[in-house]
Amino acid sequence: MVGFVDLYTEGDTFLHRMDPRVKITSVILLSILAFVLSSLEALGLLLLLIMALVVLSRTPISKTAFAFKFVFRLMVLIVILWPLFDRSGEPVIASLGPLRLTEPALLRGLTSATRIGCLATVWYILMFTTQQRDIVRALVKMGVRFDFGLTLAISLRFFPTFGATIGSIMDAQRARGLEFGRGGLLKRTRNYVAVLVPAIVSAMRTADGLSWALQSRAYGARPDRTYLRDFRMRWSDYASLMAVVLILALPLTAKLALGMDL
Amino acid sequence: MPALLMRDVRFKYRGSSDYALDRVSLEVEKGEFVTILGANGSGKSTVCLLANGLIPHAVPGDLEGKIEVFGEDTSKSTVAGLSARVGIVFQEPESQLFCMSVEEEVAFGPENLGIPRHEIRERVEWALELVDMKGYNERSPFSLSGGQKQRVAIAAALSMHPEMLVLDEPAYALDPVGRIGLYSVLRELRGRHGTTVLLAERDAEEAAAFSDRIVIMNKGRVVQTAPPREALCSPDNLRGMGIQPPQVSEIASLLNSRLSTSRYSFLNVEEAESTIAREIFKKKGRSAR
Amino acid sequence: MIPAPSSVQGSDKIVSITDLRFTYEGGVEAVKDLTLDIRKGDYIAVVGGNGSGKTTLAKNINGLLRPSRGTIMIRGHDASKMAVPEIAKVVGYAFQNPDYQLFCPTVEEEVRFGPSNLGYSHEDVNVKVQRALDAMNLQHLRTKPPLSLRLGERRRVTLASVIAMDPEVFIFDEPTTGLDTEESEMLMQKLRNLNAEGKTIILITHDMRLVSEHAKRVVVMSQGRVILDSDPRGAFADLDILRKSNLEPPAVTKLAHALKAYGVPVDIISPEELVFHLLRGSEG
Repeated sequence: MVGFVDLYTEGDTFLHRMDPRVKITSVILLSILAFVLSSLEALGLLLLLIMALVVLSRTPISKTAFAFKFVFRLMVLIVILWPLFDRSGEPVIASLGPLRLTEPALLRGLTSATRIGCLATVWYILMFTTQQRDIVRALVKMGVRFDFGLTLAISLRFFPTFGATIGSIMDAQRARGLEFGRGGLLKRTRNYVAVLVPAIVSAMRTADGLSWALQSRAYGARPDRTYLRDFRMRWSDYASLMAVVLILALPLTAKLALGMDL
Repeated sequence: MPALLMRDVRFKYRGSSDYALDRVSLEVEKGEFVTILGANGSGKSTVCLLANGLIPHAVPGDLEGKIEVFGEDTSKSTVAGLSARVGIVFQEPESQLFCMSVEEEVAFGPENLGIPRHEIRERVEWALELVDMKGYNERSPFSLSGGQKQRVAIAAALSMHPEMLVLDEPAYALDPVGRIGLYSVLRELRGRHGTTVLLAERDAEEAAAFSDRIVIMNKGRVVQTAPPREALCSPDNLRGMGIQPPQVSEIASLLNSRLSTSRYSFLNVEEAESTIAREIFKKKGRSAR
Repeated sequence: MIPAPSSVQGSDKIVSITDLRFTYEGGVEAVKDLTLDIRKGDYIAVVGGNGSGKTTLAKNINGLLRPSRGTIMIRGHDASKMAVPEIAKVVGYAFQNPDYQLFCPTVEEEVRFGPSNLGYSHEDVNVKVQRALDAMNLQHLRTKPPLSLRLGERRRVTLASVIAMDPEVFIFDEPTTGLDTEESEMLMQKLRNLNAEGKTIILITHDMRLVSEHAKRVVVMSQGRVILDSDPRGAFADLDILRKSNLEPPAVTKLAHALKAYGVPVDIISPEELVFHLLRGSEG
């Protein structure tokens, strides 16, 4: 069955307890750091730091393995493809016709891959340790309009449901002799129409029902709605935030103000 | 002041050539539990949508006549405005639960009304307890059965403390376990809390026993308004209008015709059992072995 | 000649399930060690609450799911060696929600879709389509878009599209949900007609009332196993079995059980029968 993999795992680590707003901000700051740093060693250190955080989140291997298989493959792909497009510099390690593999290009490829690894992994930490609804709630608290937050939340909520619906539609059409992935282009397109039309109709019906339900629960009745779920910053949250700001500020200053090669 | 007052209402859905409601007048008193029985196209769903303002505000069509909810003219209000007084539960469990957890769902209504946080917390717990879903706060709707979803939908409506609860075929998509759970919640509601309830159904089996009044609708008209015993006494008529009569009514009707009488009427199995034991067996000298 | 639903000859088994086990990805064992023989011309109701495995069983029969263990023989052939369209020629499955299937611009095209996929000749398909439209009283609607019809009519379109595939076995999943009494009776009459023509009917439902009025054989499932396989009377006589599988006996059965101390038999399945027994020996 098609379904959305919910990456969140319940836990009681400091990452789980951290205010979601601090987590979101930290992830953004660390992403900026990943762009600012340009040396392989510095990025490698950042990646190690981020992996350490993943370990500290005590997320089970089953979920992290799934996530990191993807990141790892992406990194390998970048390392392999990079030298195909970047052939400048000395010394040359190997060459085949017009293709040249140079040491600097390889290093640049590794650096880029590590950067991407940092960017992807840091967002995973957010998703491993924060419930989807807390992420949405935090975004709204940080200033995103409630309408957008609700839209995001509803999309996330219906993702697995929709996947199941499409699965059922495909089953029903297969029982009528439809075989996906077979036949010429015309037939295959027609096959997808057989799934698309009922899927869209189902989505529209759900949307109708949704709009009635939202109105019937006073959505938009007042400009000042209250929120049951709330977070309050604790000193530990401020401390974490400061730590992350420092992690960003130090290398940034070192690089820009002191000209260090990081 | 009645909870719902409809006087000479006519309504045609946009794009339709037939009137969904054709001169319908009905009243629901405060605290009453009224069941509208009717087949598809009888107009019972239309009445539900009128009761909370979805018609005319969200559903386009031609509307005539007077509709007042607790004295308020629905055409002059908004759905959101009426929703504090009229809660509604639809027949499709999937599309009326849109939050990521049960707790959020039940809290959504009061949040929109600006209720203070601690009171929302109390209402959520109260509503979940009432629908027998206590402790399910953190569950996602995806993981619930159909019956559980519908009970959460009821809780989500009740947490707004409406004075009237409208349910449009709530048991439509449910299996027997789900149906039983749902109706026991409705029975509770009627017994304990004095909420006005308007229930639209196609199958009279469960609602018969605990409604104060039954309104029978057919093809956009009110055919009969009466207490359950009277309304359900001729199952052939009901079936002719597309309504599934309770089996106990069919049994009573058969007994009446075989014995050339009209005194038997059963609202539920328990009543049927004790009446039959008393009148048919004991009277005729057949005793329990 | 219409073959009679036989409970004696073993030779006309049309679907033969042996030691079926099915486990979903994620570990849920939905069907456990299930053995069941379905004979040509049977009219079986497979009943059980949510989670009893009845839908899983049905999907294994028509090949949408493949057994984790055990075998399914369809007309003597091993189903695991047959592709879904091949099985569809013998076993037709009418899903509960018609809106998960309808996508063509007209009813006629919709009904044509199934048989076209099965590779029948153009003339054959035409014949089958017309017959199916007739059987479901849809001729007057055949140029209309299916999505514009009422629920009862949409159901009939999906049923017609299965009938047009001309299978020997029909699986109907909750065919009367949402229908009025009249529509429901008409539909069940169509099923009776199909059975009278010699087709095998498998009705998946949790509506015991429907079962009492139509099925000739009841298979009760609970937690992936068959806990009872008998004629309807046998099923209704045992309230515990019904409760165990999360099924609600119809009121008339509950009443019969409540009055059994007075000599009322407990395998009663219709109001007429009950009243007969109530008045037996006490009139006059």
